[in-house]
Amino acid sequence: MFKQSFKGGLFLDNPFPVKKIDLINIPLPDKVVLSMQQRIGEQAIPCVKVGDKVLTGQVVATIDDNRCAPVHSSISGIVVAIENKKMADKSKLEALAITIESDGEDEWIDNSDCCTENYNICTPDIIYNKIRMSGIVGMGGAGFPTHTKVRIAEGCDVLIVNATECEPGIMCDDALIQAYPTKVILGTEALLYICGAKKAIIAIEEDKPDAIDLLKKFCKNDAITIQPIPTKYTSGAEKILVKSLLGIEIPSGKYASDVGVLCHNVGTLVAIFDAVLENRPLISRAVTVTGDAIKEPQNFQVRLGASYDYVFNFVDIEPGEKNIMMAGTMMGIDLDGTDYYVNKNTNCIVVNKAKAKPVIKECIRCGLCNNVCPIGLLPQQLYWYSKSANIEKALEYNLPDCIECGCCSYICPSNIPLVDYYQFAKGLNKKQQSEQIKNKKARDRFEFRQLRLERNKKERAIMMEAKKKALQEKMAKDNVQKELILAAKKRVEEKKLKRDANTK
Amino acid sequence: MFEAIIIISILALILGLSLGYAAIKYKVEGNPLVDQIDAILPQTQCGQCNFPGCRPYAEAIANGEAEINQCPPGGQDGIDALAELLQVETLPLNEEHGETKPERVALVDEKVCIGCTLCIQACPVDAFVGSSKVMTQVIAAECTGCDLCIPVCPVDCISMVEVKVTINNFIPDIKELASV
Repeated sequence: MFKQSFKGGLFLDNPFPVKKIDLINIPLPDKVVLSMQQRIGEQAIPCVKVGDKVLTGQVVATIDDNRCAPVHSSISGIVVAIENKKMADKSKLEALAITIESDGEDEWIDNSDCCTENYNICTPDIIYNKIRMSGIVGMGGAGFPTHTKVRIAEGCDVLIVNATECEPGIMCDDALIQAYPTKVILGTEALLYICGAKKAIIAIEEDKPDAIDLLKKFCKNDAITIQPIPTKYTSGAEKILVKSLLGIEIPSGKYASDVGVLCHNVGTLVAIFDAVLENRPLISRAVTVTGDAIKEPQNFQVRLGASYDYVFNFVDIEPGEKNIMMAGTMMGIDLDGTDYYVNKNTNCIVVNKAKAKPVIKECIRCGLCNNVCPIGLLPQQLYWYSKSANIEKALEYNLPDCIECGCCSYICPSNIPLVDYYQFAKGLNKKQQSEQIKNKKARDRFEFRQLRLERNKKERAIMMEAKKKALQEKMAKDNVQKELILAAKKRVEEKKLKRDANTK
Repeated sequence: MFEAIIIISILALILGLSLGYAAIKYKVEGNPLVDQIDAILPQTQCGQCNFPGCRPYAEAIANGEAEINQCPPGGQDGIDALAELLQVETLPLNEEHGETKPERVALVDEKVCIGCTLCIQACPVDAFVGSSKVMTQVIAAECTGCDLCIPVCPVDCISMVEVKVTINNFIPDIKELASV
């Protein structure tokens, strides 16, 4: 099955190794904060009010946007606030968030359903809707709604379950597989049923032997293959995974669905298991807490919306100033402080001892970034063009194909945060594109308005002309009649005069 | 000698005919420079340049009747782009025409609106929806933020709202990186 490795990428060891990988269920948090903003798209609209009592698994916010999924309460309790909170995002923007205070009961909504373990009595559409209503998004960090991805890839041939977990430091997928190998297999079967693919490949990096053994032990289905792949960073990126497993290169600007492949993270499959076979929405996720300030890195099954501080209660953190990062060491986002909450896409929290940021020097054109780029782009060229905001040129060098894996930033001897420049250029490109569309629309509407005004004026002129003509005609007609009357009057007068003369 | 004259004549005839055909077939309608200038202008149609819309201003620039620095919504970037296109020295924005403002859209206070339709007549891009004596509202996606509806409103119910930065249109700052 494994066809080829890819050029570029990095061989990286886990910088914070552990002896044994466990998934620890941590107790219910006292309160949760659920953000209405997902990774892209519009904000969800709360459907509860402050003071409402909510149960675990109850929908608290809905949204009519295919780029987003509904939000469920992850505990039972009372809604105490609906207010703006800072998001764990690069933008440091605020978004509406629902705060729920726990009653400690964890009382579930009624989630009994006839269609659970024997889900194949229902049509795939019904199961698909179940996933849509369960608020499942990509658990690998991208946070794209699973239902939309499934719908786009309708009629696909292969399902790839991405258990590679290539980013060094993150272990939550490994822990999840070791804790629930059957959930992974059954979830995969359920997704196969929905998407209609004939076979599934569970791709997993060779550095997770325990997880591979467990999956092999529990997998009884011939349609599912467990495929170990060499350990190399960015092997788990969708485009690269498809190429190394199937030998298909996804063209620039296309997605896996365009070549008949559906690719989902293993965490998503577990969430699908919960939704389809146990009828439970997505209310918790596995989170790795690691970093050089953590004495023993751990993996926790955490209710969504638990605060970072609450999660930190269960690890030994060395005292002193910290740098907090959301997601892994390569693609993570630097956060200012710990005032953040676990989201559907929070796969890892890195707590490092505070260090001075490396000094950014000038590019020395060494070309190391070109060697490590797994997509085969020219990061150095992209850097120059992004820095000078020359979007046209950056697009020529295929800027949108950059997966922001961070290999180039990692290898750069001048410590240039290359990915930040690409993100800037991508944002600018998006803005310019939408501006262009808007400008074109405004131009068309303006020109149409001019046309319409002109047309109205002409029509009015024609109408006025016609009226004038009608009036003139009428007047001419009137004149003729007047003359007739005058002539008749004259005749009568003359007759009268004649008669008078005769009588005289 | 004779053959040469005939060959050259036939060649001239063929080439002349094809040139004539190309001149008719690929005739450029209007002034292409106006289109290029118009493409750079922000299409707010606000009239701050003292011309009734972006295209008239583009025509005036092309005819040398207007300076390139009369468009506040286009900002300095727009002026620079025009200077590059026309191969002239760039100029600072002429402040007589107004100042560059962040992206905005009009919002009608529905409680105050009396349905006079004056804003509908003033809007250069037909972004208002309404009719006489009913509440009027703006289609935000169509509004260019030109301000032309503000002075005509007899009850001052239109305000300009800045377009919010969201996660979907956020652009990270790279100036921060350079200063490190």
